[in-house]
Amino acid sequence: MQYVMKNAVLAVLVCCGCALGQPQPTSLAIRNARIVTVSGPVIAKGTVVLRDGLIDAVGDSVQPPAGAEIIDGEGLTVYPGLVDGLSTWGMPMAAAGRGGRGGTQPAAPAPPPARGPEDRPATTSWIKAADQIQMNDRRIEMARNAGFTTAVVFPTQGIFGGQGSVIDLAGAKPEDMVLVPSVGQYISMIPQRAGYPAALMGVIAYVRQIYLDADHYKLVKAAYDHDPRGMKRPEYDRALEGVIESKRILLPANREVEMDRMLRFAAELKQTAVLYGMHEGYRAGDLLKKSNATVLVSLKWPEKARDADPDEVDTFRTLETREKAPTAPMVLKQAGVKFAFYTDGVDASREIQRAVKKAIDSGLPREDAVRALTLSPAEIYGIADRLGSVEKGKIANLVVTRGEIFDDRTKVEMVFIDGVKHLPTPEPAGRGGASTENPGERQ
Amino acid sequence: MMKFLAAVVLIVAPLSAEVTVIKNATIMTESSKGTIKGSILVRDGKIAEVGENIMIPQGATVIDASGQWVIPGIIDCHSHIAVDGNMNETSVSVSSMVNIKDVINPEDVAIYRALAGGVTTVNVLHGSANSIGGQTIVIKTRWGKDAQGLIFEGATPGIKFALGENPKRAGNPQAGRGGAPVPLRYPATRMGVEDTIREAFNDAKQYKAEWDAYDAATKAGQHPIPPRKDLRLESLKEVLEGKRFVHAHCYRADEILMLIRIADDYGFKIKTFQHVLEGYKVANEIAAHGAGGSTFSDWWGYKMEAIDAIPYNAALMAKKGIVVSLNSDDAELMRRLNTEAAKAMKYGGVSREDALAMVTLNPAKQLAIDNRVGSIEPGKDADIVIYDKDPLSTMSKVQKVMIDGNKYFDRDNEVSGRPQKELEKEKLMQEQDQQQKKAAPARRPQ
Amino acid sequence: MTGKKSGDRSQKSELVAIALIFSAGVFAAANDTFLIRNTDVYPVTGATQQNVSVLIQDGKIAEIGAKIVAPKGMKIVDGKGLRVYPGMIDSSTEIGLSEVSGERVTVDSGEMGEFMPQLRALVAVNPESEHIPVTRVNGITSAMTFPAGGRGGRGGASSQIISGQVALIHLAGWTWEDMEINRSAAVHVIFPSIPTGGRGDEAADFPDPAAQGGGGPATYTERKRQYDQALQQLNDFFAAARQYQKERAANAAGFKRDLKMEAMIPVLDGKVPIAVTAIRARSIHDAIAFAEKQHVKMVLLQGREALKVVAELKEKNIPVILGRSEALPDNEDAPYDQAESLPGQLQKAGVKIAFGTFTNQFARNLPYSAARAVAFGLPYEEALKAVTINPAQIWGEGDKIGSIEKGKWADLMITDGDPLETPTHIKHLYIKGQEVDLTNKQTRLYEKYLSRP
Repeated sequence: MQYVMKNAVLAVLVCCGCALGQPQPTSLAIRNARIVTVSGPVIAKGTVVLRDGLIDAVGDSVQPPAGAEIIDGEGLTVYPGLVDGLSTWGMPMAAAGRGGRGGTQPAAPAPPPARGPEDRPATTSWIKAADQIQMNDRRIEMARNAGFTTAVVFPTQGIFGGQGSVIDLAGAKPEDMVLVPSVGQYISMIPQRAGYPAALMGVIAYVRQIYLDADHYKLVKAAYDHDPRGMKRPEYDRALEGVIESKRILLPANREVEMDRMLRFAAELKQTAVLYGMHEGYRAGDLLKKSNATVLVSLKWPEKARDADPDEVDTFRTLETREKAPTAPMVLKQAGVKFAFYTDGVDASREIQRAVKKAIDSGLPREDAVRALTLSPAEIYGIADRLGSVEKGKIANLVVTRGEIFDDRTKVEMVFIDGVKHLPTPEPAGRGGASTENPGERQ
Repeated sequence: MMKFLAAVVLIVAPLSAEVTVIKNATIMTESSKGTIKGSILVRDGKIAEVGENIMIPQGATVIDASGQWVIPGIIDCHSHIAVDGNMNETSVSVSSMVNIKDVINPEDVAIYRALAGGVTTVNVLHGSANSIGGQTIVIKTRWGKDAQGLIFEGATPGIKFALGENPKRAGNPQAGRGGAPVPLRYPATRMGVEDTIREAFNDAKQYKAEWDAYDAATKAGQHPIPPRKDLRLESLKEVLEGKRFVHAHCYRADEILMLIRIADDYGFKIKTFQHVLEGYKVANEIAAHGAGGSTFSDWWGYKMEAIDAIPYNAALMAKKGIVVSLNSDDAELMRRLNTEAAKAMKYGGVSREDALAMVTLNPAKQLAIDNRVGSIEPGKDADIVIYDKDPLSTMSKVQKVMIDGNKYFDRDNEVSGRPQKELEKEKLMQEQDQQQKKAAPARRPQ
Repeated sequence: MTGKKSGDRSQKSELVAIALIFSAGVFAAANDTFLIRNTDVYPVTGATQQNVSVLIQDGKIAEIGAKIVAPKGMKIVDGKGLRVYPGMIDSSTEIGLSEVSGERVTVDSGEMGEFMPQLRALVAVNPESEHIPVTRVNGITSAMTFPAGGRGGRGGASSQIISGQVALIHLAGWTWEDMEINRSAAVHVIFPSIPTGGRGDEAADFPDPAAQGGGGPATYTERKRQYDQALQQLNDFFAAARQYQKERAANAAGFKRDLKMEAMIPVLDGKVPIAVTAIRARSIHDAIAFAEKQHVKMVLLQGREALKVVAELKEKNIPVILGRSEALPDNEDAPYDQAESLPGQLQKAGVKIAFGTFTNQFARNLPYSAARAVAFGLPYEEALKAVTINPAQIWGEGDKIGSIEKGKWADLMITDGDPLETPTHIKHLYIKGQEVDLTNKQTRLYEKYLSRP
């Protein structure tokens, strides 16, 4: 009786179908599902209980509490919700792409060309992604459809783009989405169109100078705090404040030469660094292992341009990288290098799935692919204690699929974000591939 | 690429722990020994013996160079190869904070091609867009090593200055590249170039005084807050302290003299004048200052400041006692510095040995690395090039190149390896073409 | 050299000598008549002759032989220990048209306009250009000077297809009329090409930064469309010329002379070849097909990818003017000696080659370009031919210059060694038998500063 009524209520609630959750029962259980916890062995048939936005229990002999909403997990698999390790979902003008060059630029007038490092070119290090979230970014919805519950979002305009934040991909208002407001500083190595720095070496010299200035700034501030009398008051430099409060930096590296360069640079700056890009990761296992590097692997595998000149022969280097890039995750895994994936502008769920599958087909075990989109990014950003696996006490961020995740035929049935259920929405046709389900079968 | 590099690394037999003898060649030693017919014994990466009769020890690797010629590894004193990104920090007229060392690209194929042309050491410079450019370094063409592995250990770092047309180009409205007008950048004249350099050294002098005061106070037991480290002025401070060499791109006699006088005023030395096409006109002054002259063999007439360039420049400057080298400033020309050297014989009657010195011992002296390289003498690095014929002949070519006792280039291996490389590339291309065709139906353009 | 022939020659020379002695009374020492004595002669088209003499009469090579006796009063040049070669020919320069390549006002190559066959490089040649005395110091006696260099219009018209008439000039003369060998040795066609991503042409002189464009359409489809369009326009232009030729022959009432079309007639008649700049294999292939279709003679310039179409070149007897063999390979994976090996490879395949420097400032280094190819497979004799008799024949003057043979003009150099080797000096240079001053601004500056205390 209760069960039927509950389903009826559920049905009504579900048919409202809005992307944000509706008022839900206090607890929910997914029963008799396959559970890939990531932190431990796979549970062939078990139950997960969610309560108050957290995972209350998980196991093969867990009983759902009284009054819990029950979801029949027969034929379903539960994974931790996917985490995009470096994202621009929800960021303003994110479509412009990273860095200060090209693409659509904001309407704001361009600043005067910098005359040197003292002008702090292309620097907004104080900006936090958490304060910039645009909830109406369509890609947030697309991300949930693909099984993502969380993203580490960065402001990416300029050389010092700003501080990234870990956000859940749903909430009543932007602030509700923020898990961790500041997890690192996004740095690009892109020279500027006008003014300093116009060359890569100029960018490097600028970054170096910023950290020298930051050290000096701290010294002066400490001396002043210790005893201000007789001492000229120190200046306030928000660019340096932003850099000082960033506990790690993100540095770009696609070629092995760039990885070597950035690792040395990070060591020189005495900063904890995470490299992002990694197209040549397939040949850099030894280097990365030796440097104890932590890396983010782009899911945008290098491809030949669509309308390429048939007589224009790519270089061997280009051909080889194109062939071997998807093997990078496997190589990194075998070398014992800590890595996570990031979508890097691959936004359509079909494309994301295909991209991850490519890594799996190229030799990365599926469970490692899952880990690279769940527990690994959580570890990299120091939040593995609260996110990234299906464990009691962690945030109830889950993705439930019918079929093995990342397989071509697999459907994302639902995601849970902070314990709130979200169902996939149909994606408009032509958005880079078929939607993940037939419209008629929408729940 | 990786496969190719790997192949090269395998061919580079690490012989440095062993002994190698290059035997029975005509050796231009560029030393007091002159040109001899004999052999060279290499041990642990260094030249151990050079002579007409060398005893070959047991277990030595022997390279039979009968009928061939051997010279010291060629040193190019002016190059921009192996640089990632723009070789000029074009935005500002004083860019002394940037450093070529930060952007060295060890996978630039230009390194390999230079090696195939007998070059073993390269002075990699910032470009000439700025009155005061960026910091520079010296590398060896150790193809296959990473960026750190290329660096010529212990070579004094440098900084690039530029005089004349190039650094003032951005101060004058340019024939538009079909776009919006570019904001002008001071200076626009040679007077302004002088002013720019003087201003920078004026600032550097003050900066140095602050740091000297800080050092003194620290030594005296005090604990002041150090001055802010300013990378732009830091490298100029090093110039003032003689710790960083100035390599100055210049053309006209008046600007050469101008820079000498600035250096006199601020108490430092110009290490080399680069290009210095009118150096012959002020050879007395350059010689008195003690700067080296690194020039082109016979380039002229391509810019107004090059209309008085003469191919006798090298010979004339040398006559006045200047240490003269011939450089390339060009990834193609650097492969033929041997025949460039021969031009000093044609224009000015320089002897064979003196001509070859202009691309070996002289640039070594100019870079203050002649204790390590530049001639074939015991104690120096085993940087050695084997030619099939007289290296000063236009019809000779490099057969083998050794750096630090390791073989880095072998023409026979290179040529015989070509079919295999082509096959591999063909295979990759075909595979990817097929893959694209498979994916094509979904991607046919409208 | 060997018995019979030299025997004949010495008999002949004796007769000549006798004849000269008898006419000695009226002999006046003309400055294009003289004897080079006791020297080694390298005719290029025949075996080297050692220790012979060369008689030049009225600017022409009159006699080569072991025993030529000069009449009294005739100028004698002592050739002992020296060698005599034909003067060299640079098949691609802008000599006289461009003084300081980085300064546009001093440059007269590269006019505007897409189809400009009527432009004549010859009339813009400055006989006082410093490039002339600087170049001939190293034994170059004549050069092809191009209305658009080897690369394309610099007058802003990067879409220029026909740049004008190429002049073959002597590197000496009071006026350009003096210097002229052939005012219309070829009509220069810059064959349409599909621009590739950034690679472009090989570097010649310092490229003018203002002329360096970026841009062009991004997609191959669009670039191909533009290419097809340009090719169509070229064909249309030739069709129009042919039509004009018909109307001109008919000379109906109201027929008006059109200078552009007039300039095309010698090309259509097969009297003047088109000199076609084409670098990539597909452009070369299309150019060959074009020349075939239009029934015109063609000379290929640069042809960096000529090997890919070598069979066609050989079959159609199309000679190739190669750029400097001192050039980098055209892509990262190509062998490092790709450019140096090309001349030998083409020659071996039976293609007639000549060298051009495609510059002014390096024109004097023409022989070294040829020499470098020798290091990488071109036989020495072929290298020498490629800077002497081959270009002479390619440009239609094979009966006048390019070798040391009786009846040809005395365009000669006397050297102290192999002209393909750097340390060799040119001791004397003759153009049409007249000795040419081997000083220039650079030698004068040298002398001046040599004497600075």
